[in-house]
This record gives sequence, structure tokens and C-alpha cells, in this order.
Amino acid sequence: MDILYLLIPLSVVLVLLVLLALYWAINQGQFEALEAEGERILRSD
Amino acid sequence: MLAGMNAAYALLDDPQRWAAFSLPARHHLATDTKPGAHAWQSQVVVQGMHCAACALNVEAALSAVPGVKQVTVNGATHRAQITWSADEVRPSAWMQALVNAGYQALPAQDFMARDAGQTEMRQQLWRWLVAGFCMMQVMMYAWPAYVSAPGEIAPNMLDLLRWASWVLSLPVMFFSADVFTAAAWRDLKQGRISMDLPVALGIWVTFIVSSAAVFEPNGLLGDQVYFDSLTMFVFFLLTGRWLQSRLRERTAGALEALINQLPQTVQRFHHNGRLETVGVHQLKPGDVLQICPGEVIAADGEVVKGHTWVEEALLTGESAPLLRKTGDNLLAGSHNLRETIEMRVDKIGESTRYAAIVSLMQSASLHKPRLAWLADRLAKPFLGTVLLAAGLSALLAWPTSPGQALMVAVAVLIVTCPCALSLATPAAMLAAAGRLARQGVLLRDVQSLETMSQVKAVVFDKTGTLTKDKMQLQAMFTPEGSWSAHQQSDIQANTSFLLAAQLTKHSSHPYARAVLGLLDESLPALPLEDVQEHVGQGLSARLRSPDGLQTKGLRLGSLAFCQSWPECGSVPHQAMGAQVHLCDESGWLASFAFEETVRDDAVSSVDRLRALGMAVYVMSGDKPDAVERVRAVLRLPADQVFAACSPQDKLFHLKALQAKGLQVAMVGDGFNDMPVLAGAHVSFAFGQAVPLAQAKADVVVQGQQLQAVADTFALAQRTQTVVHQNLMWAALYNAVCVPLAFFGYLPPWLAGLGMAASSLWVVLNAMRLTLPPKPQALAATQA
Repeated sequence: MDILYLLIPLSVVLVLLVLLALYWAINQGQFEALEAEGERILRSD
Repeated sequence: MLAGMNAAYALLDDPQRWAAFSLPARHHLATDTKPGAHAWQSQVVVQGMHCAACALNVEAALSAVPGVKQVTVNGATHRAQITWSADEVRPSAWMQALVNAGYQALPAQDFMARDAGQTEMRQQLWRWLVAGFCMMQVMMYAWPAYVSAPGEIAPNMLDLLRWASWVLSLPVMFFSADVFTAAAWRDLKQGRISMDLPVALGIWVTFIVSSAAVFEPNGLLGDQVYFDSLTMFVFFLLTGRWLQSRLRERTAGALEALINQLPQTVQRFHHNGRLETVGVHQLKPGDVLQICPGEVIAADGEVVKGHTWVEEALLTGESAPLLRKTGDNLLAGSHNLRETIEMRVDKIGESTRYAAIVSLMQSASLHKPRLAWLADRLAKPFLGTVLLAAGLSALLAWPTSPGQALMVAVAVLIVTCPCALSLATPAAMLAAAGRLARQGVLLRDVQSLETMSQVKAVVFDKTGTLTKDKMQLQAMFTPEGSWSAHQQSDIQANTSFLLAAQLTKHSSHPYARAVLGLLDESLPALPLEDVQEHVGQGLSARLRSPDGLQTKGLRLGSLAFCQSWPECGSVPHQAMGAQVHLCDESGWLASFAFEETVRDDAVSSVDRLRALGMAVYVMSGDKPDAVERVRAVLRLPADQVFAACSPQDKLFHLKALQAKGLQVAMVGDGFNDMPVLAGAHVSFAFGQAVPLAQAKADVVVQGQQLQAVADTFALAQRTQTVVHQNLMWAALYNAVCVPLAFFGYLPPWLAGLGMAASSLWVVLNAMRLTLPPKPQALAATQA
């Protein structure tokens, strides 16, 4: 069970990394105009 | 940063700059006795407003600045209107006052507002996601402690899990929950209490106690941690806020578009014939402007050279491009689509029809009756009781041991963390709003559901709301005989009909559209010449004879229009509704009778509204006989129907209803309805409503189902029932747990569980609203 001493702190770091990725995505505008991306494939150009 | 902010505000002190978001206010300072005081009225977007109470804060902060005469703040649209005297104060001074009060102000009509809106949305999403991800992880760490038997997990492993939970609670507390802390702090400094204060107190006490348990398990505050309940509660609250501002964002965009619609500069012909670029505020009636394709027309006026097609969709709802030739009128706010034209300015700024309606609308929405929200009304007594209980319990336990006293007080504060209370209302309203959105009913502000449940009178506009937009040909009369609309082929073959239909190609009037709709498009056009539309009267033209040598006059239009022409002679009277007549130089040729078609679901919707306990009114700008027919179909009492109303009349009748103490809802679709939509307690923009009306309505009903309006009211009443149940639950929960905690009988783990369960219970109860109503309930409301 000693491996948990590594895995639990690692999971904390992982969550922080996920949050960092989300921060990047939000500020890139990835969550704005969600419908527009789906509709783009339907447009002819 | 702060210095930079001040510099940016100082720029606004240039009169040229402040004119971009302000108008000179002449009539607004009737109380100001000093003549020549330069008063301005400015519109700003206020950021950082989260609740209805914030509007009061903003008002107070601005009013305190010397030189600011009048402040009106709209909590729903985050807009403030400030009347100030340029002799005494500059915009930077009151902007700074807002900053000092903890808010950010941006000049409205400024592109910065749009940018800032985006940043705020991103920030909010980020807060919410941080809380969400941390909550998930914290719950995973909490899980082993719930399911294991005591002693099954090694103590140092438990410590590790707690430590990990604590680390992930930090971003939630210091970043995500910062909105509540900041709002509570602001309230505290100003000596006011809103729901934010008990919320902030609850989460901070919980966090401190849990942190103490992690680092000093044998300390005064015990060894129990509540990180899972804590993060879940913050996440739920932020979810509510996020959804609420998403809803607002979705419908508020159109208003911003409208306000920014007019151009800032225009191309004006100088008297030497050269073009110069001038600001819109410098225009005078009589100026001649050049309008290029794609530009927005800045003022009401007349085409003096060239012709083009314009789009007035935003103003009149007419989506087809309209031809405007030399001598035709142009409306400010319409789009020039094709050619470069020259126009003469007749009316500018505040005297244009566009500005008149926009300002009537804005002031009506600012003066909307304000209701205090249930949760905020409860905040003060709730907080008082909780603090009193915590203090008393500590006092009682003090003689035993100070540590025990502290423990009991903290237990009371934790159990009473107002989870259920603060989630009760938003959870139910958001669930209802989500269900409505799936039916094509968009709510601009979820709180309007609370108002809607108290509505006792529903006012309908007639045209386009109770009736379909289009007119239908009901019958045709000629000297040879008459046909009803069912004998379509006979009508289509009639020569008088063909003549009328060819003429109607030149008009966009609803009657003309109804006639034209029956015309067989494959027939060759008749040689009509000199076609003129006489606005509000009819069409005149000359028809060239088959040999091409002579022409004869024709008229198609109202009775008065035809009979004002001596050649027409007498027109036989038909006992029908709205009619249009056709005559030529030899006399009367034909009459066309039209009817408005009442929507198929109008009767059932009105009946259902009455079953829900509401009085139904109709206010229409249309003629009394047209309104009377609709009244008869809907079986309404005569005193609940008003015909021939101007927008001001409608507003007057509405105010009269409100003066009787009724909560009034208005359903409308047109440009003319906008002031009355803005003045009603709740407003519905229905069907093909013009974008302007949609931008200001509390509820936008997409599609053509009038039944959706009745559904919305029914759901609002159910929502209110659920809110009351949730509040009852919250009260019950506190009534049971507080005495237990008070006397020290509530073990800490049970307090945490109760806190989580009470949040979950209100959220799940609210979710019931997303289910369709029970069949018998539906039948009862329809009976």
C-alpha cells in the first residue's frame, strides 16, 4: 500500500494539471460559440 | 493597475469622449433651479453586480458624488443611467466612486463593454470549473472514510487523504468562492445583509474547522473534516450563477447590438460641395449626407438622389428589403443594402422614431417595479437567529470548558450553513428555465419566474400574437356576383381580380400580400403605368389598352380613397370586415373582404390561462371592429378589451391595471408594443417578434405556439410550489438540527452529512420540474 503515498499526491498534481489545461482552453475561447463549430460542417464553404 | 485605470477614466473627461455614451439632458433636471447648468445623461455598464441588492449599492455610491443629480440602476441588464451636471463634476469622478464601492464601470455604447463581457464570462466559467474538478477529486478522497470500518484504514493514510482534500479545497475557497467572500465583505462594510453573508460565514467556518482538523486533530475544533460538503456546496452555488448569466447573455446580446447600431461618424456634404466626416452629434436637420452600401442610416430623412434597397428589420420587423427612391423616407437605424445614395436629414438624435422608442423602452425598463427576492428577504432574520443560537450555545457550554463551548458554537454554525436555503430558489428556477428553453421559451432573467407565478392579469397584443401575421382573403364581390375564399379557382380567373393582383405587386401592405398570394405567377404582367402607392390609402395606376393607344385610370384602396375620385361612383356596402375596393374610370369593379385568422390555439390558451386564475386582456392598435371579432372568438368581457391604442395608450392602460395592485404580464410582438413590454411586470416577445422587442422582453417565445405562453405560466406556478417546498425543507432541517447541535447531541459526521443531504435534496426536488406535469394536473388546468 505504500504506493498510495506516491499516487495520492500525484492525483493532486494531476487535477492541478487538468485545471491548467482548462484555463488555457477557456482563454483560447474554446467554450464560446459551441454550436458554431457543429454548424460549420454543414456550411458549403 | 489602479493608476492606469484612473488615466483611462480621465480620458472620459473630454466632452468629445463623454458624448459617445451620454446625451445632453434638458428636461431631466426640472428640480435644478440654476439656469444653464449643463446636465448630461450617461449610460454605463456596471460590472460586479450579482444580485438585486447590488443595484441599490451602485445607486447609493453614485448618488453620493456631488454633482450627480439622479441615478437609476437596472439590476437585470447591469446598466446604470446617471444624470450629472458638467458644471460640478466630471465622469471620471463618479466612475472612480463606483470603483471605490467595489464595482467596475464602463461607458455603454463602447466596444469595451463587449470585450469586458467576454472576460467576465470566461472568468466565471473558470471559477465554476475549478470548483467542479476540485469537488470531484475531494469526493474521491472522502469516499474511503465513509465506507471503511473504523481502524480499517491506517491513520497516516487517512491523514494523507485529508491533506490532499485540504490542498484541493484551497483553490475552491480562495478563488472560486471568492465571489461570495467579496460580496459578503462589501455588504459588511456597508452594514447591509444579503444571502451572501450567511453563505460566506458558513463556508469559512466550515473550512477553518476542517483545516484545523487536518493540522491539529487533537485541537479545540475537533478532528472532523467537511471538505466534500464544502466543495459541493460552492460548486452548486456557482453552477446556479453560471447558468443564470448564460441565460442573460443569450438574450442581452441583441440590445447591445441595437445600442451600437447607429454609426458614430457620417459623410456630410460641406456647403462647398466637398464631403467631410463629422460626428453624428454634430448633424443638423437639412444636412445632406452620403450613405454608402452597407452603412447604417444615422438619422430620419428623405432620399434626395439615387435609389436603393434598405432593410428595416430591426425597427419594423419587415425582413424583406424595401425600395427607397428619391423623395422616399428613410428611418434612422435601417441598413442601406445596395447603392450609394444622398439623403437630407429631417430629424436627428432624440427626435427620430428610433430614438423615441429606444428611450421610452429604456426608461420603462429602468422603472420596472422592483420585487424583493424571497431568499434575500430571509437572509437577515436567518443570520440573526444563527448567530444568536451559536453565541447562546457557546455561553451555555462555557462553564463546562471553553473548548467545549467553541466546539458547540462551531457545530451550530456548520449545520446551519445555509445550503438548502440559498439553493432553494435558484435550483428550482434554473430547472424550470432549462425545461422551458427546450420548448423554445427563453427566459432572460430566471427570477421573472417568481414574478410570473404572481401574475393575475395577462395582456395580449392582437395582431401577430392572438392572430396570425397574415391577412386572408375572405370574399370577393363584383357587379356580376360574389365568391367566398373557398371558390379559389373562380376568383383566380376573374379579370377584376387579375387587375387587382397585378396592382398589388407594387405594395407590401398586408392586404396587398393577401391578394397577391392568390395570383397565378405564370400569367403575363398587365401593362400598368404610373403606379403610385398612397401610404395608408391605396394604389393608383393607369392601364394601357391592348392597342396601346389609350390609358385609363385605376384605383385600389380604402373606401374613402376610391370615393375621393369622382369617376368611381358609388360602391355597394358589404357587411364584412376590412375591405379594399377596385374601381376604374367607368366605376366600381370589385371589393375584397379580408379577415384576420385567429391562431388555432388562441382559444385553448386563453381558456387555460383563465383556469390558472388569470384575467386576460387584449390591447390593440387596430380598429374597434377588428378587435371586437377577436374578442367574440375568445369570449372575453368587453371591459377587458381595448382597441385603437397608441403605444402610450397601451402603457396607460397597463399602468391603470398595475395601479389596482395586479401583477401584469404583457405578450406582444411588435415595435409598437415595446414601451408596454418594458413597463409590464413580466413581458413576453412572441413569435416573429422584432429583434428589439426580443431584446427587451423577459421571455422570448420562439415558434408560433401560443400554448407555450400558457405552459410557461403553469410551470412558473409549479416552480413557486417547489421553491416553497425547498424553503420549508430548509426551515425544517434547521429546526431539527440546530437544537441538536445546540445541546451538543449532533456528532460532527452527521452534521456534515446533513449539510450535504440538504443541498442534494433541494436540487433533486427542483429537478422534478424538468419532468412533464402529471396527466391529471394537465387535465385540471385545461378543464
